[in-house]
Amino acid sequence: MQKLGDFKLPQFFNYPPYFTYSPALSAVVAHALAHYFNVLHSEMNWVEDIPPQLNLLVSRPVRDTREKQVQLWKDFILDYCKTQHIFVIELEEEFPLFSNPVIERSLSHEARKAFLSALVTEGRAEWLDKGHRKCLILWHRIQDWADIILRFVKDNGLEDGVMTIEEIRSGIESRGTELHGIDRTILMRALKLLEHKGKLAIFKGTSTDDEGVKFSV
Amino acid sequence: MIFARTPFRAQFHEMCAKVGVDPLASNKGFWAELLGIGDFYYELGVQIVEICLATRSHNGGLINLQELCMLLRQKRKTDREAVSEDDCLRAISKLKILGSGFEVISVGKRKLVRSVPTELNKDHNEILELAQAQGYVTVDEVEGRLSWTSGRATDALDTLLDEGLAMIDDGHKDGKRRYWFPCVSSISSSVGADI
Repeated sequence: MQKLGDFKLPQFFNYPPYFTYSPALSAVVAHALAHYFNVLHSEMNWVEDIPPQLNLLVSRPVRDTREKQVQLWKDFILDYCKTQHIFVIELEEEFPLFSNPVIERSLSHEARKAFLSALVTEGRAEWLDKGHRKCLILWHRIQDWADIILRFVKDNGLEDGVMTIEEIRSGIESRGTELHGIDRTILMRALKLLEHKGKLAIFKGTSTDDEGVKFSV
Repeated sequence: MIFARTPFRAQFHEMCAKVGVDPLASNKGFWAELLGIGDFYYELGVQIVEICLATRSHNGGLINLQELCMLLRQKRKTDREAVSEDDCLRAISKLKILGSGFEVISVGKRKLVRSVPTELNKDHNEILELAQAQGYVTVDEVEGRLSWTSGRATDALDTLLDEGLAMIDDGHKDGKRRYWFPCVSSISSSVGADI
């Protein structure tokens, strides 16, 4: 089985057609309809937002194959990012999943955008910029990260404690936990969610290094 | 269960064939029940249906017998004896009797198991046969090797695409579109042997 580091690659990764993403067929019609309904084409996520009128034009088996392709790539991306602790994917940078040198195939920019957009629609990713070049991957949802933080607090007897943001993500206590090396943006979101629930209070220090949290779990 | 042993099954069927008896004609009867024939093929049939359903979005409802067998063996990890292609064919013929729409068709050197009502005409069959060499075809190849007009080639390929039997690959550096057919090769055989 082909591996990337020690990550086992799924079989579809070795089958060339899975690297071709073509909203083919009714792309022209979709575009026309999109304008008719006054929706920006780039905001239409092909698979999820397909208007009912177009469903008739895209036959069932083709729809199934395309949906399967998107699903396989979504799961693959999430899986890989989770095991490799990757939080951000930059579309224009080299990313091991986007090409397979063995079969000499790479995902086009359009394909990468399509699969990541599908993750965004499902709430498993977020675009970090307007140009959709950087994508934050939520292989744990923010709510899950919040739960992990609560567990971390209990495991370390910090129910009434104080900790800096940096300590949460890189301190001794974080080693061996999923929090170690967590993306700052994601951590802040999870903390804000917990603050909203009254589980903690975020306070600013004199610099980013001093930003901290007072827990009241 | 004695019937689970492949060599026994093969000999048993050979014997029945000599005598002109079809052991699968009925599940009832002393011998059928004693040997557990019905159960064995029923179970196999169910597993075959499961595999066909699970792979349908990849291969469009057409799977080659060899791959089906391989997936079946992987699924039946508890079997000490492997399931043969003949066993698969018998289980499928039982499914046919139940009116499930399963069919085994021959394309070139291969047998393909069809689990969807797609009707393939002679043109489609010829393309599938051509695709067996490398797992894919290009429009040029189809026109050249079969001496077809370009209209005839694209029509047939478009239908196969529509039916979910073909998948498009535009990624080759020569820029030529390739039509891959999952039903003529398993994913693992489309790459070099050292994978």
